[in-house]
Amino acid sequence: MSSLIFTLKSAPAQRIDCSPLTSDLLADKVVSDIAAIELVIGNGTERVDSLFEVSGDDVTDIKFVNSTDKLDFIGRNMTSGTINVEGNVGGYLGLFLDGGEIEVNGNTGVYTACEMKSGQIKVNGNAGDFVGGARPGYKNGMTGGTVIITGNSGDRTGDHMRRGMILIEGDAGDYCAGRMISGTIAVLGDVGAHLGYGMKRGTVLLTQTPSKGLGANFNDCGSHTLAFLPLLFNSFKKLDSTFSSVESFSRVQRYAGDLGGIGMGEILVKI
Amino acid sequence: MIINGVTIDETFAEAFPMKGTRLIITALNAKWAMISAQAFTGFATSVIACGCEAGIERELDPSETPDGRPGVSILIFAMGGKGLAKQVETRAGQCVLTSPTSALFSGLDSETEMALGQNLRYFGDGFQISKMIDGKRYWRVPVMDGEFLTQEKTGVQASVGGGNFLVLAESQAQALAACEAAIEEMKKIPNVIMPFPGGVVRSGSKVGSKFKALNASTNDAFCPTLKGQTKSDLSPEVESVMEIVIDGLTKEDIDKAMRVGIQAVCDLGVENGIRRISAGNYGGKLGPFHFHLQEIMA
Repeated sequence: MSSLIFTLKSAPAQRIDCSPLTSDLLADKVVSDIAAIELVIGNGTERVDSLFEVSGDDVTDIKFVNSTDKLDFIGRNMTSGTINVEGNVGGYLGLFLDGGEIEVNGNTGVYTACEMKSGQIKVNGNAGDFVGGARPGYKNGMTGGTVIITGNSGDRTGDHMRRGMILIEGDAGDYCAGRMISGTIAVLGDVGAHLGYGMKRGTVLLTQTPSKGLGANFNDCGSHTLAFLPLLFNSFKKLDSTFSSVESFSRVQRYAGDLGGIGMGEILVKI
Repeated sequence: MIINGVTIDETFAEAFPMKGTRLIITALNAKWAMISAQAFTGFATSVIACGCEAGIERELDPSETPDGRPGVSILIFAMGGKGLAKQVETRAGQCVLTSPTSALFSGLDSETEMALGQNLRYFGDGFQISKMIDGKRYWRVPVMDGEFLTQEKTGVQASVGGGNFLVLAESQAQALAACEAAIEEMKKIPNVIMPFPGGVVRSGSKVGSKFKALNASTNDAFCPTLKGQTKSDLSPEVESVMEIVIDGLTKEDIDKAMRVGIQAVCDLGVENGIRRISAGNYGGKLGPFHFHLQEIMA
């Protein structure tokens, strides 16, 4: 068995819904069946083999080659297996992901890991807005799993996030952890304005004080040694991420908020 | 069987099924981890009246604990899962949560789990924080010295309680010295505790009593002062008997502990006043686990 590879023939003019191309939906299908699947592109459909060169046969190990930011919904509803993407991807990467691993060697569009339930997504590049967020109009973002962004993430990272962990090796944009319900976001770089706006619960862990400061709706709770932090850093060690080599610390300045709401969220800044 | 002049009785110790778990208590330093562990395992010598049997398994190096601080591992056993959960919760709440700088973790992975900090979190009065790390849920409970960190659940496994052997000596001092030597060696065996004070019990019991309210009473057959009053199991030269009780996560763990313990006693030999090794055999009334002394020492 060799990896099932979808090589994009040419840059598409319209967006392509790649959600049928997961290990769950391709199970028990032979290559000819896979080639004949109709994908939604723009307001029509086209066969897989008219858009991609298809090779290999292992549906649990899928690769997208020559990918562009027009490929949406990669890994939607996936529960097992791996997807590896060479190139950029569009929106909703790993929507409802409930197991397995997705790795992108490129940048991702909006709503990466949207409403993800478990598993792991790693973006070796930058991610768009609403990483780990909820679909527009919905109230619960990701509820489990781990997202690693080696570059920067866009605005509203962790919007409505309920559980799970988002690790940003670079910078995070504005409104990071906005309306966050629970879970953990850690950022090694800087974060934008309005950090934790509307945050209910959850933890934002920072290694440096945000250059744009914290909002007035977060109160300083003082400096503390928190016993859970060594456990958290220990859990990073198995990750293929810069976080695995970050020196563990447990001494932090703790800020609680958003006090405009229930104020049970916390921003922890290394001191 | 005779080892170094010490007779090993052809009998067996009777033990019974229990539910057990291992907990890890850590603190800022080894002193306070031990203080908390000692408080947790206090008044836990026998299920007859304590509700559980608990003891310190060993001290842990910071490299062996979840949070990288000095720690102590303890084992606690009870007759059933519900009783165990109740004992763990009350003892953790009163003896670990209250102990300065402490944190409490599960030391046993098992498919069957029970609450550890799951209910203690309510002490946080709404300020408690949950953290899911590596698939395990932890609770951070704000307390006056900072935060009390506890794992939500701990594993529970079917265990064995009441493994034992009796040391029959010519004097009280010699019996005690032999038991101390045994305990020193038995403490090196993992997965077992000797729950009585210092690991030794001088008031071994038999099943039942002439008084209706009691389900256990003094083991008169091994009481030296009753040699002329009851159907004694003691020869004239035996003046003191002490018992070592062992609880373990498995029967094999108790086997190992009994072997090293009895060997340590026998190493002292008859020249140090040790006459016999026997065991609490209740004719099959106590439990299904039988530890045959001569097989263990073969």
